[in-house]
Amino acid sequence: MSVVDGLKAAALLFVAAIFQVSIFSQARVLAGEPDLLLVMLVAVALLRGSMFGAVGGFFAGLIVDTATGAKLGLTSLVLTLAGYWIGRYGETTGRDRAHAPFLSVAVVTVLYSFGVLVLHFVLGEPAPAAPLARGLVPSIVLNLILTAPVYALVRRLLRPLDRGDYATEVQLLG
Amino acid sequence: MASRDRTARVAVLGTSVQRSRNERRPPRGRNAQLRRAVLVLLVLVALVLLTVSFRSPTSGALHTAQGYGATVLRPFQVAAERVARPFRDAYDYVTGLTGAKSENEKLKREVRQLRTQATANLAGARRAAELEALMRFENLRSFPKDYTPVNTTVISFPGTPFAQQVTIAAGANSGIRINTPVVTADGLIGRVTNVFPSTSQVTLLNDEESSVAAVDVTHGVSGIIRRGPRGTFILDRVAKEAKVAKGDVIVTRGTVDRRYPSYYPYGIQIGTVLSASPSDIATFLSVQVTPYARFDSLDAVAALVPKTPK
Repeated sequence: MSVVDGLKAAALLFVAAIFQVSIFSQARVLAGEPDLLLVMLVAVALLRGSMFGAVGGFFAGLIVDTATGAKLGLTSLVLTLAGYWIGRYGETTGRDRAHAPFLSVAVVTVLYSFGVLVLHFVLGEPAPAAPLARGLVPSIVLNLILTAPVYALVRRLLRPLDRGDYATEVQLLG
Repeated sequence: MASRDRTARVAVLGTSVQRSRNERRPPRGRNAQLRRAVLVLLVLVALVLLTVSFRSPTSGALHTAQGYGATVLRPFQVAAERVARPFRDAYDYVTGLTGAKSENEKLKREVRQLRTQATANLAGARRAAELEALMRFENLRSFPKDYTPVNTTVISFPGTPFAQQVTIAAGANSGIRINTPVVTADGLIGRVTNVFPSTSQVTLLNDEESSVAAVDVTHGVSGIIRRGPRGTFILDRVAKEAKVAKGDVIVTRGTVDRRYPSYYPYGIQIGTVLSASPSDIATFLSVQVTPYARFDSLDAVAALVPKTPK
């Protein structure tokens, strides 16, 4: 992992965050909404691990919160945890699995949505579950549609690492 | 309990490997610690930011920093919006092909003009009967006389389904302040709830927490406009005996009592009554209102800045 990788990942996440707040968040299909940033973060975290995932999620969340004038830290908190968790999955169980990006995107879409819902609820803001429930399945489908091209693009720019570069906690014998 | 000197057997070779007592801890252990430390640090920073932002959402050093950040991001947002515009226009065009497109647009323009004229007439006539007649009527034909329009565009849209807020490309530098009303050519869309130097956050009328004092200019019935089901609004707090009919025009009520000034000037169009029906169990009349503004495709908007700061 190099500085160049970091810069590439940062550029990808920055562009995804800007496109998300300016374009994709308005693209409602059957009450669902594609989340380019989340899919991009999943791709980066799977290919570069939990550190990239967590740091990338944090700064991408800051960009979203700053651009939308929302409460700073809200999106950062959820994306940091999402990036870290997906990164760990990529470093361990999901390594070299073709279905890993799709499974990660589907699961993280659900967790991210509920994470944001819970944070809004904790902050005492309106947090109706009905719109989330209505839009959840369409959102998952839209994100899954985005997954293949986004993952292919990120994989092209950030080549998969050798096994030794992954920050696993389980030392492999033999 | 397993011994620390346990033997690991390598299947391929069939030999046993003795783990050395003084084997150095692998660097991966340090990686794991570093990784967890970074995660904890980032989560803590996010929580601190969230706490500070929650406690002082519209002022303070963090708000100022966020304003500078928004200023830096604004050109990128505008650029992204411009890149996407042709695609969005194409999408709108395709979705709007159900009828003859050009004729539909022409008719819409005419309807909009006539509706503006009719609303101005109705609203002006009502106030004329109550207050100072023709003067108000003249002013209601365009923007309220005490306000200057700041024309701008929407550069970001609601990030979650919980808060219906958009960001517009004009802020404190253009004279916009908190609670500045924001309109489109069709009618009222909301008010500014957070201001940065060059951008502002607008909470839309269809947000869960939005409410506007409104009046049915046809029958002079007052109420509170709130979000209703399936993209409609509810004119709440209307007495059961009040007369409200389908097609009645709803506009902002404006300030009635100077001690309690309204954020919105009198006479901005909101929508038309879709249905009005009493209910045996409800305290008030159930009035459903169809908004004029299309909240799903906001683009050009105008913020109404008071000529004299309030």
